[in-house]
Parts: sequence; C-alpha cells; structure tokens
Amino acid sequence: MAGLYVHIPFCKAKCRYCDFVSFPDCESMGEYCAALLKEMRLCAAALPRQTYDTVFFGGGTPSILPEGAISLLLQSLRDSFEIAPTAEITIEANPGTLDAAKLHEYKAAGINRLSMGLQSTNDVLLETIGRIHRCTDFVQNYESARKAGFGNISADLMYGLPGQTVKDHLDAIEMLYRLGIDHISAYSLIVEEGTPLYMDVTYGTESLPTEEDVYLMHRRGMEFLETLGYARYEISNYAKPGFASRHNLNYWENGQYLGLGLNSHSAMRVDGKWLRFANTARLQDYIRNCNLGQRPLAEAPQEIPRAEEMFETIMLGLRKTSGISEAAFRERFGEDAKAVYGAAFAKLKKRGWLLEEDGAFRLTEEGLDFQNEALLEFLPD
Amino acid sequence: MSYNQELIRNFCIIAHIDHGKSTLADRMMELTDTVALRDMEAQMLDTMEIERERGITIKATAVRMFYTHTDGKQYMFNLIDTPGHVDFTYEVSRALAACEGAVLVVDATQGIEAQTLANVYLALDNGLEIVPVINKIDLPSADPEHAIQEIEDIIGLPAADAPRISAKLGTNVDAVLAQIVELVPPPKGKMEEPLRALIFDSIYDNYKGALSYVRIKEGAVRAGMRIRSMATGNEFDVTEVGVFTPALRPTDELSAGEVGYIAASIKSVSETKVGDTITDAQNPAKEPLPGYKQANPMVFCGIYPADGADYESLHDALDKLVLNDASLSYEPETSMALGFGFRCGFLGLLHMEIIQERLEREFDLDLVTTAPSVIYKVMKNDGTELMVDNPSNLPDPSEIQYMEEPMVEAHIMTPSDYVGAIMELCQEKRGIFKDMKYMEENRVNILYELPLNEIIYDFFDQLKSRSRGYASFDYELKEYVKSDLVKLDFLLNGDMCDALSTIVHRDKAYAKGRAVAEKLQEVIPRQQFEIPIQAAIGGKIIARETVRAVRKDVLAKCYGGDITRKKKLLEKQKEGKKRMRQIGTVSLPSEAFMSVLRIN
Repeated sequence: MAGLYVHIPFCKAKCRYCDFVSFPDCESMGEYCAALLKEMRLCAAALPRQTYDTVFFGGGTPSILPEGAISLLLQSLRDSFEIAPTAEITIEANPGTLDAAKLHEYKAAGINRLSMGLQSTNDVLLETIGRIHRCTDFVQNYESARKAGFGNISADLMYGLPGQTVKDHLDAIEMLYRLGIDHISAYSLIVEEGTPLYMDVTYGTESLPTEEDVYLMHRRGMEFLETLGYARYEISNYAKPGFASRHNLNYWENGQYLGLGLNSHSAMRVDGKWLRFANTARLQDYIRNCNLGQRPLAEAPQEIPRAEEMFETIMLGLRKTSGISEAAFRERFGEDAKAVYGAAFAKLKKRGWLLEEDGAFRLTEEGLDFQNEALLEFLPD
Repeated sequence: MSYNQELIRNFCIIAHIDHGKSTLADRMMELTDTVALRDMEAQMLDTMEIERERGITIKATAVRMFYTHTDGKQYMFNLIDTPGHVDFTYEVSRALAACEGAVLVVDATQGIEAQTLANVYLALDNGLEIVPVINKIDLPSADPEHAIQEIEDIIGLPAADAPRISAKLGTNVDAVLAQIVELVPPPKGKMEEPLRALIFDSIYDNYKGALSYVRIKEGAVRAGMRIRSMATGNEFDVTEVGVFTPALRPTDELSAGEVGYIAASIKSVSETKVGDTITDAQNPAKEPLPGYKQANPMVFCGIYPADGADYESLHDALDKLVLNDASLSYEPETSMALGFGFRCGFLGLLHMEIIQERLEREFDLDLVTTAPSVIYKVMKNDGTELMVDNPSNLPDPSEIQYMEEPMVEAHIMTPSDYVGAIMELCQEKRGIFKDMKYMEENRVNILYELPLNEIIYDFFDQLKSRSRGYASFDYELKEYVKSDLVKLDFLLNGDMCDALSTIVHRDKAYAKGRAVAEKLQEVIPRQQFEIPIQAAIGGKIIARETVRAVRKDVLAKCYGGDITRKKKLLEKQKEGKKRMRQIGTVSLPSEAFMSVLRIN
C-alpha cells in the first residue's frame, strides 16, 4: 500500500481556527500548479518506482482551483507515477467552491471520493468559526455531487465550537444521515495559539463549551453515529460498511506515502531505510526550488531508526478501533509486539485500556479517550 | 625570621551589606600595591561566584599588605574579611578574635544597621579597638555629620576624627590606613611560649588538602612541625605555611602576631574547625584559646535529586561541598514520595539557600527540597526525650507528653515609621514583645522573642517588604520552650505524602493547611480521575480541595504531516512524566514541593 498526497494551499478565506499553511490570496495559484507539475517529475525521477493505491487532493481547498486544473494535475500524476486502476482518489471540497461543471470534471478525471468540509449545520456556528458557506450551500453541493455520480461522499464535522450545544452536534449528524452520507469525520476543536479564534477565546468575545459538554458531544455523537450504522474505525472517523478512507487508513498503518506540494510530508522505504521527509512551508521557496529543478525539501530526509519506526507503528495503529494485527507487526519487524512491549501490554490491560482479540491488539473505548497517556507506556524510559 | 610585632596590625572591616566593605578593601590593596591594578577584578576578596552576585562574603578570607606610614616605618597589615550575615555569627566572632582592631564602615547616607551593631558588639566583646570610617561621601544624599552623631550616640564611640571617605572613588582612603597604624594596637603574643594558633577559617585546596587560616597568638609554626588540634587531639605534620598576598604564598615560618595558613595534608575542613587552637605536638600549650564551640546546624531540610538517577551525583556533590564547609551536615534519608535523598543541616536560611544554589550551579543538579524545619524537643509519655528535625520522625501524638521548640531573641532596627507594620509581622509570627528603644529621634531598636520555626520561612523577606527595605535584623538562639505543636499532613487521593508534612503551631495549622491545599490544587496536573487533596492533623481532615478529572487526552487529527510533531510531543510528555513523583496513584511534579514552600 502506498498513497499520494497533493497539497493545494489556497482558500477563499481563512477560517478562524485554522493554523495550517494556506493562503487566502489566490494570485500565485497558477505559478503554484506549474511548480507542482515540475515537482511531480522531480520526485518520479528521484524515488523508487511503485504502485500508488490512493490519491488525495487536500488543502487548503483543492476545489478552489479553476476548472481544468485538477484534471491536469491528476493526468500529470498518472504520467509520472503508476496509479492502480482501482485506486481510491479523493478530493477535499468546501461548500461554496463547487459547481456542476467542476464536479463533472472531477468525475471524468477519475476522482471517486469527495470529502466535504461541512463542520456544522448551524449557520450561526459556521459564522462564528469563519466558514464562508451556509448549511444550504452544502446541501446543494451534495445533491449535485450525487447527480454527477459520486458514490462515496464524506463530510467533516467539528464539535466543541464556541456556543455549540450537544443538540447542535447531534442535529448535524442526523441531517447527514438523512442525506445518505457515506462517511463522517468528527473532530474535536483544538484552539491553536495564534489563530483568530484563540484571540476570541482569550479576550472573551467567544466562550468555549465546558469540558464536560465537549465530552458529552463526543460520547453522544459517537453513540448516535453507531446507532445510525456508521462504524467508528478511527478516533475521529466513522463510515458505513466498505466506506472507510483507504488513503487515511494507510497513514494509520504507518504505510508509505509521497506528499507533493507546499509543506507536504512523506514517509517511504528507500534501500531498506525508513525515511521521512517534508517540503518547505514557504510558498516562494517552494516555487523557486521547483523552477530551478530542485526538490523543494525543507531539510534532508530523516532516517527513522527501527525502534522509532516500531513506536510510530504503535502510535498510529492504536488510533484504529481494529488496532494492530499481530501478524502484520511480526511481518514488518520480525518480532512480536507483545515481546517488545510486554510491560506496556500488561499495564494497559490491567487498566482496562488494551485488549487482545482475534490476532490483534487494540485500545478499548476508554483507552482511545486517553490514547496519549496510553502511548507513553510504549516510549522507552 | 619573625616580623617585629610592633610593626604588625591585624584588623577586620565591619560593615552592613552594601556599605562598601569590599570596595574599601580593594582600595587599600591598591594603595599598598598589593595587587597590580590590571590584575584586579572588582571586589578582590569575594571570590565565589555566589558571593559576588549576592554581594556578601560567605567564607572568611585574608590578605597581607605592606604600608609605609608617615613615620617612615613599613607596617605589615593583615586584613581579615569576615562573613557578613547573621547565619555566620560564630565564624565572624572567631575572625574578630584573630584581630586587634576593626574598621567600622558606616554609610553616610544610611547610618548604622542592626547587623553592623551586632558585629560591633562582638568586636567590643573580643576587646578590639574600633576605627570608625564614614563612607560614600560622594553621594548627594550623604550626611557624614549625622552618621558620626549616630556612632557616638548608639555605640558610644568618639568619632569626630573618623575619616570621611569615598571607597568607590578612592577619596581619603590613605587616612584610614594611617589611623589603623595609630589606633589599632600591635599584637602582644610571646615568641618563646608554646605555639597557640587560632583557626578562623578553613578552605579545601585540591592539591594541599584542607588549609587552616590561622592567627598565631604565641610561638611559631613552620613546615615539618608536628601540630595538634586542641579540640580533637588529632595530630598532623605541617607540609607548608604561608601568607595571603592575597594568593597563597609559602613562607618559612609564621610567628606570634602573624596571620597566614597552615597546610598539613588534612583531608577535610571538618578536621580543622573554626575556633579550634593548634598547638605544637612536642611542646603543647596548657590551655586552648577561649571561645571554641561546635557550630551546630539549626535549620534542616530534605534535598532530593529531581531525577532519582542523580542520587550518586548529589552524594558526590555534598561530599565535595562539605570538604569546604564544616557547618554543613547531611545524612541519607528516604522519603516515600521523593525516594532517596539527604537530610541536610544548615546554620541558617541563607546558608541553606547558598548550598542549594551551589549544588544546582556548580554541580548542575536539579533538586527537590522539602520545607525547612528546626529541631524540636519531644518529651514522650514514657519519659524519654527525642530531638526531631524531620516531621516524618515525629512519634504518634498519643505517645507525646509535650513538645518544645527553639526560640530566638531578635533585634530589629527600623525607622520609626515602620514600627507598627513590623510589630504586626512579629505578632503574626507568634513573637513575644520584649523591649523597644529609640536609638535616636526616628530610629527604633525593637526586641522580640520569636520561635525559630517562624523566621526560617519568609520572615526576612517580609521584614524587608513591610519596611521598604529599611529594617534590618539580627538574632541569636535562646532556650527551648513548650509549645502546642502539631504535625500537618497532606493526603493526595487518600495517600499521605510524607515530603509535604510540616510541624506547625496549632493556631496556624488551619490557615496553613488551607493555603497549601489550594496551592497543590493549582500545581497538580489533572489526571484521569478526580484527586482529593486533604490537609490533616492526626486523623482529622481540616481542609479539602479537588483536582478535577480530565476526560480525554487524545489528538483529534493525526495524518501524514502530524506524525513527527506528535511523536515529539509524546516524548516531551514522557520526559515530564519522568520528573513526576508518584504518591500512591497521583503524579506530582517536583515543582509542587517547591511551591508549597512559598506560602505565607
């Protein structure tokens, strides 16, 4: 399994909670896409050939690119890399940036999964967090996407927003269910320092729900989703049977992926070494390097030692409700996870946070709530 | 060959902190060409980093100078620099005993302070001739006539002829040198008597072993002699004698009246204690010099490495410090909460702070210290008496008939404006008012009897803040008195944390229990369960706080770009956790122990 990620760092407006690398001005879009095309060729030449099973256009807002751009990028990807015929190809889209023409273009280009940033169905909340769309925009885009033939649509929700109630969150889930959505990601809001929302909260113009309420949104939301037939397969992700995101599962399997575009990250086995590398986060550097025919890396690839690769595998794998397959771990590292992490297993089992079942080990619901704490047991003393 | 005693002057300088003692010493050395100017770092005598920073002298030091007087004769000056803090009163008294005179430096802008007065009285007790000097005349607010009046009124010394100087600028410092010749009497000890040398300090030298700083009272000492400590009876062979230039310089002999050092391959300064008399083992003196006493620690606390793995390093560091500091004591101690560490004894609070600071700075150790304690006397029901310096060792209340705590007599000198505020402070600290005297129109000397355990926390800081820095303070240990003391314990999620226990007066227990519980509530990180914090006396809970449970600790999103960052965060979290102490089920950061100390 290997995934390809393409980053599109542009948005119509920056949301108030956002601390990602994205630019509300779209002047450099053309230049950027040209650089991306160059980077694809540079990477294809530099890295070992392999088949990619998933492609993900993420952002930012990939759907902000003018008509034709995504098809061009995807075609260019196919020219440079080998993409499996059955590949899952996802694009992130924000309501308000989609129209029938773009949807048809995506579909025709071979994109078969749509991930939409809804966040909430309450327009007041959408305004508070600085989203450009309203609930109806989402519904319209969703319907058009279905008409265009998209059979796999996901929506992102957020909980713990200023002014949000448990009911708001459950209402959003219910609406998505009624629309027949296939996949839901429900993220707990993290107020990052330096964001406008951080200022709102610090200066008291907005106030966050209590910790207890946020916890209730998480619990009740999860229970509701499961009742409606969306199985939790990762800490924040729920899907109808067969609709789990293959691209994201690959991250949590600690699989290989190649990131293209500004500030994108990659993990890859090269000559037996487990490498991680990342592109620069500065737009001008990125464009300049690509134009000069140099890969726009932030720094030289880091070789991850085996013990750390093992820990990463645990850290990511234990995000999944199915946990980590003992056989897969043994195949990758030639050792039994239980032998390597005997003490952690014993301690977490005793605490009721870890279970061993059907040849896999996984965190219990409570264990997932305290995943950070659980992971500390796997770190060396 | 011995130096003509008539031409020797041994003296020290008495001054309040910041009144210019070290600067004056520097100027004297310059005027006598003792240290070439270019080699001179400001404040030559204070060599330890901490001494320089705090502007105080911790160890006594000495320097020999040669001064040519107006009578054409060359005089040998031995200046002994004394520690300047109440914790080191005994050391000061021994350094004074090594002199015939004392230069009293009074700041022309501030007048006499309590600490100065205490040292002047010590000097007078030791029969020293006082040479008053008015310093800082260059400052616009200087009032030398007022300072002179104060010296005459408060100490009763004629001071009309006192040199008015500016040590900083070097103004009139030669007049001080002239007065030392004229006013300080020469030493009178006889050369032909058996050797008697007073140890006024000792330091550890990596090559020569423990060096005794001595004043030869009678007889002479030279390399090759066998000497005997009159306090311990231990004997050593002298390998070297010498003088302070101020660098150590070996000489053939030290004879009656001189000041210098003796090296004798002594392993530790604890074998050459301040106040001890050294004599000739072959021809011993009949009587030691008066005044020797064992300097006993008065304040105790537990010192633990923040990381248990540093225990051996801490042990080594204490071993090294004690080579140079005979008044520091330590013994291994185990705490349920803090693991392996040491119970350390100090002369006073400043001494404690200095040692902690040296351990952290010079040995790069991260420490956790427990609340300081004094030594309590416990009378048990079975008639046995117990001295307790660690709350954990206090017997069960049912076994205790009564307890006693040490009292001190405190002299506080303050401008009269602050008398009210200071008396309020002393009352809060369970003080008993004894006396109050107007030294002059607006300066008051207040006498209080105070429990030592009340002044070891923040008394000095409080005194300074309530008097805007003007009040000064000195104390001496008095007797033990009966007191209604209780052990205040803290329970975290039901488990007692021994390192937080303290012994307090019953009247203070409730307020203290509440304050500490509140503070703990702030500093204990939330965990996956609720943590009750309880303050208890015996089995009785007197205060309670709760640290709320954390409901979730997980990263909502973790995709390709988050992985490296996430891993680093977890590693940091793990590092922080390693520095936590486990009290039953509760993890406590080492800062928690410190923050509890900082409660009024």
